[in-house]
Amino acid sequence: MSPDILDEAVELWFGPQHVSAHGWATKLTLVGDYIVECDPNAGYFHRSAEKCLEFRTFKQGSLILERLCMLEAFLAEYPYLSAVEQIAGLEVPERAKIMRTIMMEACRIHSLQFWWGQFSAELGMFTMTLWPWIDREYFLDAFEELTGSRHAAAYGTPGGVKYDFTEKSVKVLEHAIAHMESQMPKFKDMILHNPSFKVRTKGIGQYDVKQGLKWGLSGPNIRACGTPMDLRQDVNDPNLAYDMVDWEVPTFHSEDHPGESDAFDRMVQRFLEIEASVKIIRQLLPLVPDGPIVDPKARAKSNRLPAGEAYGRIEGTRGLASVWLKTTDKAQSPYRAKIRGPCLNSYYSLKHLVPGSKFADFIVIFGSLDPYPGWWDR
Amino acid sequence: MSGTAFARMIVNKYQEVEPKLLTDEKVDLVIPASLIRDVVHLIEESYPLIFPEIIMGLDLEDDKYEVIYIFWSRETNFLCQFRVLLEGATPVVDTISDIFPGMEWHERETCEMFGIDFKGHPDLRLLLLPDELEGKYPLRKRFKTDRSRLSESGLPQPKPRPPRGGDSQ
Repeated sequence: MSPDILDEAVELWFGPQHVSAHGWATKLTLVGDYIVECDPNAGYFHRSAEKCLEFRTFKQGSLILERLCMLEAFLAEYPYLSAVEQIAGLEVPERAKIMRTIMMEACRIHSLQFWWGQFSAELGMFTMTLWPWIDREYFLDAFEELTGSRHAAAYGTPGGVKYDFTEKSVKVLEHAIAHMESQMPKFKDMILHNPSFKVRTKGIGQYDVKQGLKWGLSGPNIRACGTPMDLRQDVNDPNLAYDMVDWEVPTFHSEDHPGESDAFDRMVQRFLEIEASVKIIRQLLPLVPDGPIVDPKARAKSNRLPAGEAYGRIEGTRGLASVWLKTTDKAQSPYRAKIRGPCLNSYYSLKHLVPGSKFADFIVIFGSLDPYPGWWDR
Repeated sequence: MSGTAFARMIVNKYQEVEPKLLTDEKVDLVIPASLIRDVVHLIEESYPLIFPEIIMGLDLEDDKYEVIYIFWSRETNFLCQFRVLLEGATPVVDTISDIFPGMEWHERETCEMFGIDFKGHPDLRLLLLPDELEGKYPLRKRFKTDRSRLSESGLPQPKPRPPRGGDSQ
Protein backbone atom coordinates (compact mmCIF):
# COMPACT_ATOMS: atom_id res chain seq x y z
CA MET A 1 0.00 0.00 0.00
CA SER A 2 1.46 3.34 -0.98
CA PRO A 3 1.64 5.99 1.74
CA ASP A 4 -0.53 8.37 -0.35
CA ILE A 5 -3.54 6.15 0.17
CA LEU A 6 -3.05 6.21 3.92
CA ASP A 7 -3.14 10.03 3.80
CA GLU A 8 -6.81 9.77 2.98
CA ALA A 9 -7.48 7.27 5.77
CA VAL A 10 -10.33 8.04 8.11
CA GLU A 11 -10.44 6.91 11.72
CA LEU A 12 -13.86 5.80 12.80
CA TRP A 13 -15.03 4.62 16.20
CA PHE A 14 -17.56 1.82 16.03
CA GLY A 15 -19.20 2.08 19.45
CA PRO A 16 -19.62 2.48 22.36
CA GLN A 17 -22.78 4.42 21.47
CA HIS A 18 -23.64 2.41 18.36
CA VAL A 19 -26.75 0.28 18.83
CA SER A 20 -24.98 -2.91 17.81
CA ALA A 21 -22.06 -2.15 20.12
CA HIS A 22 -23.47 -3.01 23.51
CA GLY A 23 -20.49 -2.43 25.73
CA TRP A 24 -17.56 -2.33 23.36
CA ALA A 25 -15.83 0.06 20.97
CA THR A 26 -13.54 -0.64 18.05
CA LYS A 27 -11.37 1.88 16.31
CA LEU A 28 -11.41 1.31 12.56
CA THR A 29 -9.12 2.93 10.03
CA LEU A 30 -10.87 3.23 6.69
CA VAL A 31 -9.61 3.95 3.20
CA GLY A 32 -12.68 4.52 1.10
CA ASP A 33 -15.01 1.69 1.94
CA TYR A 34 -12.27 -0.69 3.07
CA ILE A 35 -10.94 -1.29 6.55
CA VAL A 36 -7.15 -1.24 6.74
CA GLU A 37 -6.73 -1.42 10.48
CA CYS A 38 -8.89 -2.63 13.33
CA ASP A 39 -8.16 -1.91 16.97
CA PRO A 40 -10.68 -3.57 19.30
CA ASN A 41 -11.00 -1.87 22.68
CA ALA A 42 -12.18 -3.55 25.85
CA GLY A 43 -12.97 -2.38 29.36
CA TYR A 44 -16.35 -0.68 29.03
CA PHE A 45 -18.00 -3.46 30.99
CA HIS A 46 -15.28 -4.24 33.52
CA ARG A 47 -16.61 -5.16 36.96
CA SER A 48 -13.43 -6.71 38.40
CA ALA A 49 -15.07 -10.08 38.89
CA GLU A 50 -11.77 -11.79 39.71
CA LYS A 51 -11.03 -9.42 42.58
CA CYS A 52 -14.65 -9.64 43.80
CA LEU A 53 -14.40 -13.42 43.96
CA GLU A 54 -11.56 -13.12 46.45
CA PHE A 55 -13.97 -11.52 48.92
CA ARG A 56 -16.93 -13.86 48.43
CA THR A 57 -17.56 -17.29 49.93
CA PHE A 58 -17.48 -20.28 47.62
CA LYS A 59 -21.26 -20.46 47.51
CA GLN A 60 -21.59 -16.79 46.58
CA GLY A 61 -18.92 -17.01 43.89
CA SER A 62 -21.02 -18.74 41.29
CA LEU A 63 -23.47 -15.83 41.32
CA ILE A 64 -20.73 -13.51 40.10
CA LEU A 65 -19.81 -15.93 37.32
CA GLU A 66 -23.42 -16.05 36.21
CA ARG A 67 -23.52 -12.32 35.70
CA LEU A 68 -20.58 -12.39 33.31
CA CYS A 69 -22.81 -13.80 30.61
CA MET A 70 -26.49 -13.62 31.48
CA LEU A 71 -27.42 -15.44 28.29
CA GLU A 72 -25.65 -18.63 29.31
CA ALA A 73 -26.04 -18.29 33.06
CA PHE A 74 -26.48 -22.03 33.68
CA LEU A 75 -23.26 -22.76 31.81
CA ALA A 76 -21.19 -19.82 32.97
CA GLU A 77 -21.40 -20.71 36.65
CA TYR A 78 -20.30 -24.30 36.11
CA PRO A 79 -16.49 -23.94 35.77
CA TYR A 80 -16.34 -22.29 39.18
CA LEU A 81 -18.57 -24.91 40.77
CA SER A 82 -16.53 -27.65 39.14
CA ALA A 83 -13.29 -26.23 40.56
CA VAL A 84 -14.81 -25.94 44.03
CA GLU A 85 -16.15 -29.49 43.82
CA GLN A 86 -12.72 -30.79 42.82
CA ILE A 87 -10.96 -29.14 45.76
CA ALA A 88 -13.67 -29.94 48.31
CA GLY A 89 -13.99 -33.52 47.08
CA LEU A 90 -17.75 -33.39 46.63
CA GLU A 91 -19.70 -36.14 44.91
CA VAL A 92 -22.58 -34.95 42.80
CA PRO A 93 -25.63 -37.27 42.99
CA GLU A 94 -26.80 -38.91 39.78
CA ARG A 95 -30.06 -36.96 39.71
CA ALA A 96 -28.27 -33.62 40.03
CA LYS A 97 -25.79 -34.56 37.30
CA ILE A 98 -28.51 -35.23 34.78
CA MET A 99 -30.65 -32.27 35.79
CA ARG A 100 -27.64 -29.99 35.52
CA THR A 101 -26.83 -31.24 32.05
CA ILE A 102 -30.43 -30.86 30.87
CA MET A 103 -30.65 -27.29 32.09
CA MET A 104 -27.27 -26.46 30.56
CA GLU A 105 -28.41 -27.66 27.17
CA ALA A 106 -31.73 -25.82 27.50
CA CYS A 107 -29.74 -22.71 28.32
CA ARG A 108 -27.53 -23.29 25.30
CA ILE A 109 -30.57 -23.41 23.02
CA HIS A 110 -31.98 -20.21 24.46
CA SER A 111 -28.62 -18.51 24.15
CA LEU A 112 -28.22 -19.57 20.53
CA GLN A 113 -31.73 -18.38 19.75
CA PHE A 114 -30.86 -15.01 21.22
CA TRP A 115 -27.77 -14.93 19.03
CA TRP A 116 -29.94 -15.67 15.99
CA GLY A 117 -32.07 -12.67 16.64
CA GLN A 118 -29.13 -10.43 17.35
CA PHE A 119 -27.23 -11.54 14.27
CA SER A 120 -30.23 -11.01 11.98
CA ALA A 121 -30.69 -7.52 13.39
CA GLU A 122 -27.04 -6.83 12.67
CA LEU A 123 -27.59 -7.99 9.11
CA GLY A 124 -30.55 -5.62 8.91
CA MET A 125 -33.27 -8.24 8.77
CA PHE A 126 -35.53 -7.52 11.65
CA THR A 127 -38.23 -10.09 10.89
CA MET A 128 -35.84 -12.91 11.59
CA THR A 129 -34.88 -11.14 14.83
CA LEU A 130 -38.28 -11.55 16.37
CA TRP A 131 -38.99 -15.15 15.38
CA PRO A 132 -36.34 -16.86 17.50
CA TRP A 133 -36.91 -14.40 20.32
CA ILE A 134 -40.56 -15.46 20.49
CA ASP A 135 -39.53 -19.14 20.71
CA ARG A 136 -36.91 -18.28 23.29
CA GLU A 137 -39.63 -17.10 25.67
CA TYR A 138 -40.77 -20.69 26.13
CA PHE A 139 -37.36 -21.62 27.50
CA LEU A 140 -37.37 -18.62 29.80
CA ASP A 141 -40.78 -19.78 31.03
CA ALA A 142 -39.25 -23.17 31.80
CA PHE A 143 -36.42 -21.54 33.77
CA GLU A 144 -38.95 -19.43 35.64
CA GLU A 145 -41.08 -22.42 36.49
CA LEU A 146 -38.06 -24.32 37.80
CA THR A 147 -36.12 -21.61 39.64
CA GLY A 148 -38.34 -18.55 39.86
CA SER A 149 -35.96 -16.48 37.77
CA ARG A 150 -35.83 -16.01 34.04
CA HIS A 151 -32.15 -15.16 33.54
CA ALA A 152 -29.61 -15.42 36.35
CA ALA A 153 -31.29 -18.33 38.05
CA ALA A 154 -28.55 -19.35 40.50
CA TYR A 155 -29.32 -22.95 39.71
CA GLY A 156 -26.04 -24.63 40.57
CA THR A 157 -24.48 -24.93 43.98
CA PRO A 158 -21.30 -26.77 45.00
CA GLY A 159 -22.20 -30.45 45.04
CA GLY A 160 -25.42 -30.34 43.05
CA VAL A 161 -28.32 -28.08 42.14
CA LYS A 162 -30.68 -25.93 44.18
CA TYR A 163 -34.10 -26.55 42.68
CA ASP A 164 -35.70 -29.91 42.06
CA PHE A 165 -37.68 -30.82 38.96
CA THR A 166 -41.41 -30.80 39.49
CA GLU A 167 -44.02 -32.36 37.24
CA LYS A 168 -45.02 -28.95 35.98
CA SER A 169 -41.49 -27.66 35.35
CA VAL A 170 -40.64 -30.73 33.27
CA LYS A 171 -43.87 -30.24 31.33
CA VAL A 172 -43.03 -26.62 30.55
CA LEU A 173 -39.54 -27.60 29.44
CA GLU A 174 -40.86 -30.37 27.22
CA HIS A 175 -43.30 -27.92 25.70
CA ALA A 176 -40.46 -25.49 24.95
CA ILE A 177 -38.45 -28.20 23.22
CA ALA A 178 -41.43 -29.49 21.25
CA HIS A 179 -42.14 -25.95 20.08
CA MET A 180 -38.48 -25.50 19.15
CA GLU A 181 -38.57 -28.68 17.10
CA SER A 182 -41.71 -27.58 15.29
CA GLN A 183 -39.99 -24.33 14.31
CA MET A 184 -36.76 -25.95 13.08
CA PRO A 185 -37.80 -26.51 9.44
CA LYS A 186 -38.79 -22.85 9.16
CA PHE A 187 -35.40 -21.71 10.43
CA LYS A 188 -33.53 -24.20 8.29
CA ASP A 189 -35.29 -22.88 5.23
CA MET A 190 -34.54 -19.34 6.26
CA ILE A 191 -30.83 -19.99 6.77
CA LEU A 192 -29.98 -22.28 3.89
CA HIS A 193 -32.14 -20.85 1.14
CA ASN A 194 -32.52 -17.17 1.88
CA PRO A 195 -30.53 -15.26 -0.75
CA SER A 196 -30.08 -12.14 1.39
CA PHE A 197 -28.49 -14.16 4.19
CA LYS A 198 -26.17 -15.85 1.72
CA VAL A 199 -25.06 -12.66 0.00
CA ARG A 200 -24.25 -10.95 3.27
CA THR A 201 -22.34 -13.86 4.84
CA LYS A 202 -20.65 -16.05 2.21
CA GLY A 203 -16.89 -15.59 1.95
CA ILE A 204 -16.84 -13.05 4.79
CA GLY A 205 -14.37 -13.36 7.66
CA GLN A 206 -12.71 -16.55 6.54
CA TYR A 207 -10.04 -18.39 8.53
CA ASP A 208 -8.75 -21.96 8.76
CA VAL A 209 -8.69 -24.14 11.83
CA LYS A 210 -4.98 -23.76 12.55
CA GLN A 211 -5.20 -19.98 12.45
CA GLY A 212 -8.34 -20.03 14.57
CA LEU A 213 -6.67 -22.12 17.27
CA LYS A 214 -3.65 -19.80 17.29
CA TRP A 215 -6.01 -16.91 17.99
CA GLY A 216 -7.53 -18.94 20.81
CA LEU A 217 -10.93 -19.40 19.19
CA SER A 218 -13.00 -22.34 20.41
CA GLY A 219 -16.48 -23.78 20.41
CA PRO A 220 -18.73 -23.27 17.36
CA ASN A 221 -16.15 -21.00 15.75
CA ILE A 222 -13.75 -23.95 15.44
CA ARG A 223 -16.39 -26.61 14.85
CA ALA A 224 -17.59 -24.62 11.84
CA CYS A 225 -14.21 -25.44 10.24
CA GLY A 226 -15.04 -29.15 10.45
CA THR A 227 -12.96 -29.96 13.54
CA PRO A 228 -15.05 -31.70 16.22
CA MET A 229 -13.37 -29.95 19.15
CA ASP A 230 -15.89 -30.20 21.94
CA LEU A 231 -15.22 -30.59 25.66
CA ARG A 232 -18.56 -32.33 26.11
CA GLN A 233 -17.17 -35.34 24.27
CA ASP A 234 -13.38 -34.92 24.44
CA VAL A 235 -13.13 -34.71 28.23
CA ASN A 236 -15.18 -36.99 30.43
CA ASP A 237 -16.39 -34.72 33.23
CA PRO A 238 -17.58 -36.98 36.09
CA ASN A 239 -19.97 -34.31 37.36
CA LEU A 240 -21.92 -34.03 34.10
CA ALA A 241 -23.98 -36.60 32.22
CA TYR A 242 -22.80 -36.27 28.62
CA ASP A 243 -21.36 -39.79 28.65
CA MET A 244 -24.87 -41.25 29.08
CA VAL A 245 -26.02 -39.82 25.78
CA ASP A 246 -25.54 -41.14 22.30
CA TRP A 247 -24.81 -38.09 20.19
CA GLU A 248 -22.34 -36.69 17.74
CA VAL A 249 -20.48 -33.43 17.96
CA PRO A 250 -22.10 -31.11 15.40
CA THR A 251 -19.61 -29.96 12.81
CA PHE A 252 -20.12 -28.15 9.57
CA HIS A 253 -18.08 -29.24 6.56
CA SER A 254 -17.99 -26.59 3.90
CA GLU A 255 -17.81 -27.81 0.31
CA ASP A 256 -16.32 -24.61 -1.10
CA HIS A 257 -13.44 -24.33 1.34
CA PRO A 258 -12.80 -27.45 3.43
CA GLY A 259 -11.04 -26.86 6.73
CA GLU A 260 -12.02 -23.20 6.76
CA SER A 261 -15.05 -21.30 7.90
CA ASP A 262 -16.72 -18.07 6.87
CA ALA A 263 -19.64 -16.22 8.42
CA PHE A 264 -22.16 -18.40 6.59
CA ASP A 265 -20.59 -21.62 7.94
CA ARG A 266 -20.61 -20.30 11.47
CA MET A 267 -24.26 -19.35 11.06
CA VAL A 268 -25.21 -22.85 9.91
CA GLN A 269 -23.02 -24.35 12.62
CA ARG A 270 -25.03 -22.58 15.30
CA PHE A 271 -28.17 -24.09 13.84
CA LEU A 272 -26.63 -27.57 14.09
CA GLU A 273 -25.73 -26.83 17.72
CA ILE A 274 -29.40 -26.31 18.54
CA GLU A 275 -30.26 -29.64 16.91
CA ALA A 276 -27.60 -31.46 18.95
CA SER A 277 -28.77 -29.86 22.20
CA VAL A 278 -32.36 -30.87 21.51
CA LYS A 279 -31.15 -34.42 20.92
CA ILE A 280 -29.25 -34.50 24.23
CA ILE A 281 -32.19 -33.18 26.27
CA ARG A 282 -34.62 -35.62 24.62
CA GLN A 283 -32.39 -38.54 25.63
CA LEU A 284 -31.66 -37.32 29.15
CA LEU A 285 -35.18 -36.39 30.30
CA PRO A 286 -36.40 -39.99 30.76
CA LEU A 287 -33.15 -40.93 32.52
CA VAL A 288 -33.60 -38.65 35.56
CA PRO A 289 -33.56 -41.02 38.56
CA ASP A 290 -34.98 -40.44 42.02
CA GLY A 291 -32.67 -39.34 44.77
CA PRO A 292 -31.09 -36.32 46.40
CA ILE A 293 -30.22 -33.26 44.31
CA VAL A 294 -27.19 -32.21 46.29
CA ASP A 295 -24.32 -33.97 48.04
CA PRO A 296 -25.45 -34.28 51.69
CA LYS A 297 -21.98 -33.21 52.84
CA ALA A 298 -21.89 -30.17 50.55
CA ARG A 299 -23.00 -27.70 53.18
CA ALA A 300 -20.21 -28.60 55.58
CA LYS A 301 -17.52 -29.25 53.01
CA SER A 302 -17.93 -26.17 50.83
CA ASN A 303 -17.86 -23.71 53.71
CA ARG A 304 -14.12 -23.90 54.23
CA LEU A 305 -11.98 -25.59 51.62
CA PRO A 306 -8.62 -27.29 52.07
CA ALA A 307 -5.58 -25.81 50.32
CA GLY A 308 -5.47 -26.77 46.69
CA GLU A 309 -5.59 -25.83 43.04
CA ALA A 310 -8.18 -26.85 40.51
CA TYR A 311 -9.15 -26.06 36.98
CA GLY A 312 -12.80 -26.25 35.99
CA ARG A 313 -13.90 -26.11 32.36
CA ILE A 314 -17.08 -26.18 30.35
CA GLU A 315 -18.00 -26.11 26.68
CA GLY A 316 -20.06 -22.94 26.69
CA THR A 317 -22.28 -21.64 23.94
CA ARG A 318 -19.56 -19.31 22.77
CA GLY A 319 -16.56 -21.57 23.36
CA LEU A 320 -14.40 -22.90 26.13
CA ALA A 321 -14.93 -21.18 29.46
CA SER A 322 -12.80 -22.06 32.46
CA VAL A 323 -11.87 -21.04 35.98
CA TRP A 324 -8.49 -21.60 37.60
CA LEU A 325 -8.90 -21.65 41.36
CA LYS A 326 -6.37 -21.60 44.18
CA THR A 327 -7.36 -21.88 47.80
CA THR A 328 -5.42 -21.68 51.04
CA ASP A 329 -6.15 -23.99 53.95
CA LYS A 330 -9.46 -23.39 55.74
CA ALA A 331 -10.11 -20.19 53.84
CA GLN A 332 -13.69 -19.12 53.22
CA SER A 333 -12.93 -17.50 49.88
CA PRO A 334 -10.50 -18.17 47.00
CA TYR A 335 -6.90 -17.01 47.09
CA ARG A 336 -7.04 -16.43 43.37
CA ALA A 337 -9.66 -17.16 40.76
CA LYS A 338 -8.85 -16.61 37.11
CA ILE A 339 -11.71 -16.66 34.65
CA ARG A 340 -11.22 -17.51 31.00
CA GLY A 341 -14.02 -16.04 28.98
CA PRO A 342 -14.18 -17.53 25.49
CA CYS A 343 -15.10 -14.20 23.94
CA LEU A 344 -11.86 -12.49 24.96
CA ASN A 345 -10.20 -14.34 22.12
CA SER A 346 -13.05 -14.03 19.62
CA TYR A 347 -13.10 -10.27 20.14
CA TYR A 348 -9.31 -10.07 19.92
CA SER A 349 -9.28 -12.01 16.65
CA LEU A 350 -11.13 -9.14 14.93
CA LYS A 351 -7.77 -7.39 14.89
CA HIS A 352 -6.51 -9.96 12.37
CA LEU A 353 -9.76 -10.96 10.72
CA VAL A 354 -11.24 -7.59 9.81
CA PRO A 355 -8.52 -5.67 7.90
CA GLY A 356 -9.10 -5.96 4.16
CA SER A 357 -12.85 -6.32 4.35
CA LYS A 358 -15.52 -3.75 3.58
CA PHE A 359 -16.90 -1.55 6.31
CA ALA A 360 -20.40 -2.99 5.91
CA ASP A 361 -19.00 -6.48 6.56
CA PHE A 362 -17.41 -5.53 9.86
CA ILE A 363 -20.55 -6.12 11.90
CA VAL A 364 -21.19 -9.39 10.06
CA ILE A 365 -17.76 -10.71 11.05
CA PHE A 366 -18.24 -9.49 14.59
CA GLY A 367 -21.70 -11.03 14.89
CA SER A 368 -20.71 -14.35 13.34
CA LEU A 369 -18.09 -14.92 16.09
CA ASP A 370 -20.76 -14.35 18.75
CA PRO A 371 -18.75 -12.32 21.23
CA TYR A 372 -20.40 -11.13 24.43
CA PRO A 373 -18.73 -8.20 26.25
CA GLY A 374 -19.32 -9.62 29.73
CA TRP A 375 -17.01 -12.51 28.93
CA TRP A 376 -14.01 -10.43 27.99
CA ASP A 377 -14.40 -7.55 30.42
CA ARG A 378 -15.32 -9.70 33.43
CA MET B 1 3.03 -38.06 21.67
CA SER B 2 1.35 -38.49 25.04
CA GLY B 3 1.51 -35.86 27.76
CA THR B 4 4.02 -37.72 29.91
CA ALA B 5 6.28 -38.40 26.93
CA PHE B 6 6.25 -34.72 26.02
CA ALA B 7 7.02 -33.67 29.60
CA ARG B 8 9.90 -36.17 29.82
CA MET B 9 11.30 -34.80 26.58
CA ILE B 10 11.32 -31.28 28.03
CA VAL B 11 12.80 -32.40 31.34
CA ASN B 12 15.55 -34.35 29.56
CA LYS B 13 16.35 -31.48 27.23
CA TYR B 14 16.39 -28.73 29.86
CA GLN B 15 17.88 -29.78 33.18
CA GLU B 16 16.51 -26.70 34.98
CA VAL B 17 12.89 -27.66 34.37
CA GLU B 18 11.28 -29.13 37.44
CA PRO B 19 8.27 -31.44 37.05
CA LYS B 20 5.48 -31.00 39.60
CA LEU B 21 2.91 -33.39 38.23
CA LEU B 22 3.23 -35.97 35.46
CA THR B 23 0.15 -37.87 34.38
CA ASP B 24 -1.31 -38.57 30.98
CA GLU B 25 -4.18 -36.14 31.60
CA LYS B 26 -2.24 -33.31 33.15
CA VAL B 27 1.33 -32.12 33.12
CA ASP B 28 2.60 -29.42 35.45
CA LEU B 29 6.12 -28.06 34.96
CA VAL B 30 8.05 -25.28 36.68
CA ILE B 31 10.11 -23.52 34.05
CA PRO B 32 12.82 -20.85 34.47
CA ALA B 33 11.83 -17.50 32.95
CA SER B 34 14.68 -17.63 30.44
CA LEU B 35 13.43 -20.91 28.93
CA ILE B 36 9.73 -20.24 28.51
CA ARG B 37 9.97 -19.19 24.86
CA ASP B 38 11.97 -22.31 23.96
CA VAL B 39 9.49 -24.59 25.69
CA VAL B 40 6.47 -22.89 24.09
CA HIS B 41 8.17 -23.17 20.69
CA LEU B 42 8.66 -26.85 21.36
CA ILE B 43 5.02 -27.47 22.27
CA GLU B 44 3.91 -25.59 19.18
CA GLU B 45 6.12 -27.75 16.95
CA SER B 46 5.11 -31.02 18.64
CA TYR B 47 1.36 -30.34 18.52
CA PRO B 48 0.32 -28.24 15.51
CA LEU B 49 -3.28 -28.03 16.71
CA ILE B 50 -2.58 -27.19 20.35
CA PHE B 51 -5.06 -24.85 21.94
CA PRO B 52 -3.75 -22.02 24.17
CA GLU B 53 -6.18 -21.52 27.04
CA ILE B 54 -4.83 -19.17 29.66
CA ILE B 55 -1.98 -16.94 30.68
CA MET B 56 -2.51 -15.67 34.19
CA GLY B 57 -0.65 -14.06 37.04
CA LEU B 58 -0.56 -15.19 40.64
CA ASP B 59 0.66 -13.06 43.53
CA LEU B 60 2.44 -15.21 46.12
CA GLU B 61 3.17 -12.13 48.31
CA ASP B 62 6.59 -10.81 49.39
CA ASP B 63 7.33 -9.76 45.78
CA LYS B 64 7.02 -13.29 44.45
CA TYR B 65 4.88 -13.94 41.42
CA GLU B 66 3.94 -16.83 39.26
CA VAL B 67 2.89 -16.68 35.62
CA ILE B 68 0.84 -19.72 34.65
CA TYR B 69 0.39 -20.91 31.07
CA ILE B 70 -2.22 -23.53 30.21
CA PHE B 71 -2.40 -25.37 26.89
CA TRP B 72 -4.73 -28.15 25.87
CA SER B 73 -3.99 -30.76 23.24
CA ARG B 74 -7.22 -32.24 21.93
CA GLU B 75 -5.68 -35.15 19.99
CA THR B 76 -3.87 -36.63 22.98
CA ASN B 77 -6.26 -35.02 25.47
CA PHE B 78 -3.86 -33.61 28.01
CA LEU B 79 -3.63 -30.31 29.84
CA CYS B 80 -0.24 -28.74 29.93
CA GLN B 81 0.47 -26.26 32.68
CA PHE B 82 3.71 -24.27 32.83
CA ARG B 83 4.66 -22.13 35.80
CA VAL B 84 7.25 -19.39 35.70
CA LEU B 85 8.42 -18.09 39.07
CA LEU B 86 9.35 -14.41 39.17
CA GLU B 87 10.80 -12.31 41.96
CA GLY B 88 11.40 -8.65 42.63
CA ALA B 89 9.40 -5.44 42.48
CA THR B 90 9.37 -5.31 38.67
CA PRO B 91 9.05 -8.87 37.40
CA VAL B 92 9.83 -9.47 33.72
CA VAL B 93 9.21 -12.45 31.46
CA ASP B 94 9.45 -12.93 27.69
CA THR B 95 6.30 -12.63 25.64
CA ILE B 96 4.88 -15.60 23.71
CA SER B 97 2.31 -13.50 21.86
CA ASP B 98 4.24 -13.82 18.59
CA ILE B 99 3.99 -17.63 18.79
CA PHE B 100 0.34 -17.66 19.94
CA PRO B 101 -1.24 -14.34 18.92
CA GLY B 102 -4.37 -15.21 20.93
CA MET B 103 -2.36 -14.82 24.11
CA GLU B 104 -1.64 -11.15 23.40
CA TRP B 105 -4.56 -9.89 25.45
CA HIS B 106 -4.01 -12.43 28.23
CA GLU B 107 -0.51 -11.02 28.65
CA ARG B 108 -1.78 -7.47 28.42
CA GLU B 109 -4.27 -8.17 31.18
CA THR B 110 -1.66 -9.87 33.38
CA CYS B 111 0.57 -6.84 32.90
CA GLU B 112 -2.01 -4.29 33.99
CA MET B 113 -3.36 -6.40 36.86
CA PHE B 114 -0.05 -7.63 38.34
CA GLY B 115 2.61 -5.30 36.97
CA ILE B 116 4.42 -8.17 35.27
CA ASP B 117 6.24 -6.89 32.21
CA PHE B 118 6.21 -9.01 29.07
CA LYS B 119 9.40 -8.30 27.13
CA GLY B 120 8.81 -7.97 23.40
CA HIS B 121 5.03 -7.57 23.64
CA PRO B 122 3.75 -5.35 20.81
CA ASP B 123 1.13 -3.43 22.76
CA LEU B 124 1.05 -3.18 26.56
CA ARG B 125 -1.59 -0.45 26.90
CA LEU B 126 -4.24 -0.85 29.60
CA LEU B 127 -6.88 -3.32 28.46
CA LEU B 128 -9.65 -3.33 31.04
CA LEU B 129 -8.69 -0.69 33.59
CA PRO B 130 -9.53 2.99 33.22
CA ASP B 131 -6.63 5.31 32.42
CA GLU B 132 -7.34 7.50 35.44
CA LEU B 133 -7.10 4.70 38.04
CA GLU B 134 -4.75 5.70 40.83
CA GLY B 135 -2.68 3.15 42.63
CA LYS B 136 -1.55 0.23 40.58
CA TYR B 137 -1.92 -3.45 39.97
CA PRO B 138 -5.37 -4.26 41.37
CA LEU B 139 -4.92 -8.02 41.57
CA ARG B 140 -1.79 -7.82 43.72
CA LYS B 141 -2.56 -8.80 47.28
CA ARG B 142 -1.29 -5.52 48.69
CA PHE B 143 -3.77 -3.49 46.64
CA LYS B 144 -6.29 -2.25 49.16
CA THR B 145 -9.97 -2.33 48.36
CA ASP B 146 -11.35 -1.03 51.64
CA ARG B 147 -12.66 2.42 52.56
CA SER B 148 -9.13 3.87 52.91
CA ARG B 149 -8.93 4.30 49.12
CA LEU B 150 -12.32 5.89 48.71
CA SER B 151 -10.97 9.43 48.28
CA GLU B 152 -8.94 8.36 45.20
CA SER B 153 -11.97 6.93 43.46
CA GLY B 154 -13.80 10.26 43.27
CA LEU B 155 -16.91 8.69 44.78
CA PRO B 156 -18.71 10.67 47.48
CA GLN B 157 -17.83 9.85 51.07
CA PRO B 158 -20.56 7.83 52.78
CA LYS B 159 -22.63 9.84 55.23
CA PRO B 160 -21.95 9.04 58.90
CA ARG B 161 -24.57 6.82 60.39
CA PRO B 162 -27.23 8.57 62.48
CA PRO B 163 -27.04 7.85 66.19
CA ARG B 164 -29.11 5.05 67.55
CA GLY B 165 -32.73 5.87 68.06
CA GLY B 166 -32.73 8.47 65.29
CA ASP B 167 -31.70 12.09 65.12
CA SER B 168 -33.02 14.18 67.99
CA GLN B 169 -33.36 17.35 65.86
